[in-house]
Amino acid sequence: MPRILDPQDKYYIDNPGRVRDIQKEMHKRGIDVYLGSRIRTMSFVLDTFCPWRSYLIIPPEGQPTYFTFVVDALRVGDETWLDSDRVRAYGPMGGMDQVSAITDFIKDELGITRGRIGFEDGVSTYTAEGNLTHWEYTHFKDALPGFEWVNSHDIIDALSIIKDKGTIERFRTASLIVDEGHKAARAALENAGYKGMTETVIAGIAALAMRKAGSVSEWNFAGLNEISSGYRTGLGACTPPTTKEIKAGEPLMLDFHAMFKLALGDHSHNYLIGPATKRQRWHADNFVAIVQKVIDNYKAGTTPGTLAALMMDFAESRGCGDFIQPACEHGIGLFGDEWRIGSVVNPDLPYWTDQDHVYSENEMVVCAMQYAAPEEGIGFRYENDIVITKDGCEVLSKYPLGIEEIE
Amino acid sequence: MSELIAYLSPAWRDEALKRLQAELTPEKMNNVTTSMSNIYKNCPGGEEMFLFVECKDGKITRVETGAGEPPQAEFRILGDYETFAKISRAELGAQKALMTGKLKLKGNLARALKLASVSDRLNKVLAKIPAKY
Repeated sequence: MPRILDPQDKYYIDNPGRVRDIQKEMHKRGIDVYLGSRIRTMSFVLDTFCPWRSYLIIPPEGQPTYFTFVVDALRVGDETWLDSDRVRAYGPMGGMDQVSAITDFIKDELGITRGRIGFEDGVSTYTAEGNLTHWEYTHFKDALPGFEWVNSHDIIDALSIIKDKGTIERFRTASLIVDEGHKAARAALENAGYKGMTETVIAGIAALAMRKAGSVSEWNFAGLNEISSGYRTGLGACTPPTTKEIKAGEPLMLDFHAMFKLALGDHSHNYLIGPATKRQRWHADNFVAIVQKVIDNYKAGTTPGTLAALMMDFAESRGCGDFIQPACEHGIGLFGDEWRIGSVVNPDLPYWTDQDHVYSENEMVVCAMQYAAPEEGIGFRYENDIVITKDGCEVLSKYPLGIEEIE
Repeated sequence: MSELIAYLSPAWRDEALKRLQAELTPEKMNNVTTSMSNIYKNCPGGEEMFLFVECKDGKITRVETGAGEPPQAEFRILGDYETFAKISRAELGAQKALMTGKLKLKGNLARALKLASVSDRLNKVLAKIPAKY
């Protein structure tokens, strides 16, 4: 990913400004140095794909310094906006292991030998979150005596909630790329093209179309492009594709992912492979109506709890309350940021979505709903990046909402 | 030369500079500008010693040895005297010594790796100096 340094570029992000905002908050909290370890932190500050275990050292002022596994340091150095000497490596050498390289840097190069160090602790359903491990924490702590360790991830969580113009533009493009995947999949399915086609194949057809359109990754760690057909559509919200064949009379769910400049396109669309029964059509119509209802009610000022209650009430009114999962969104940001809503760690249920979080303009979420009737072998999923606006929301995938029957 | 020179002595230092300048052209040194201090711990005399090598645009410009604090360098490599001696006697590879933690590197690893081959050439020249340890 080439670095974008031109403020006039529509995808430009003011990364130095982000660092200054973090440093302002560090100053307010009396934090002398910040040790970041989460992927979302790397994406937010470096504006670069950082898949290997990495650490970001943010001093009280000036540029941060990034440490990653030695195999990837040159590439990151080539892509990030940071000065080349600010991209460092750790590796299997005396003095160059993670703990030695980073603690020496803090003590010897930054000249910080005592004070308060911010770090990133917590828990997530997202495996790759990247909080500091117990081993790392204890060894860093031993190597940095004289420091008070302060869990400070909420600095970056709070600063990354409202998306800037460049970030939103990236998401718009990523979402339109996902639409190319859906168009290619739809074309492949029609005229009985689905016959003999497996879930893995339709996932690949979409992946190729999205790559051609500029996606660099089907970024989702739960199976890249997630596909389910038949009874598998009723199994919940994690469906890595299998070699199961798509068959007539079954539902089909296509959940495609594209990454564009670290922005994560994510759109799920559903079909009924004909002939559909009346009962299948009823489920499908329920789901489309519920999705539309929720989308119509997003706006600045509302909360996840309000939307979930509205959704459940609406589903109940249609007689399908038993089939809808009681949540309608997940968080989204640059690569690595796709979990809870809000930045507050609620003491009653820490690290889960804050149901009372009040949405603001230019906040983004993935509107995400799951409908499942496993006993009937049917289910549907909807996901779409949305931007909260003053009076509503902007739905970024423009692929038409609906559950079409493919003959 | 068949007479053995005391390792890290002023005579060894002078011989090192002479050989490095004669055998390593700027092209062989990839025209790099860098500097390195080897810090020798647990020396036979009990003192901590150093070997400092400086290279400007590929030309070896300084070799210093001595006791105490070495000159500022882009890289510092710390280890026991015996480990460095083994490397100089070609009994142990510098890379292996680093990869097994017998030597500790301080500096920018990404840049150090770019200089690994240059460092290897330098070590090979130093290893040829007939030295007593």
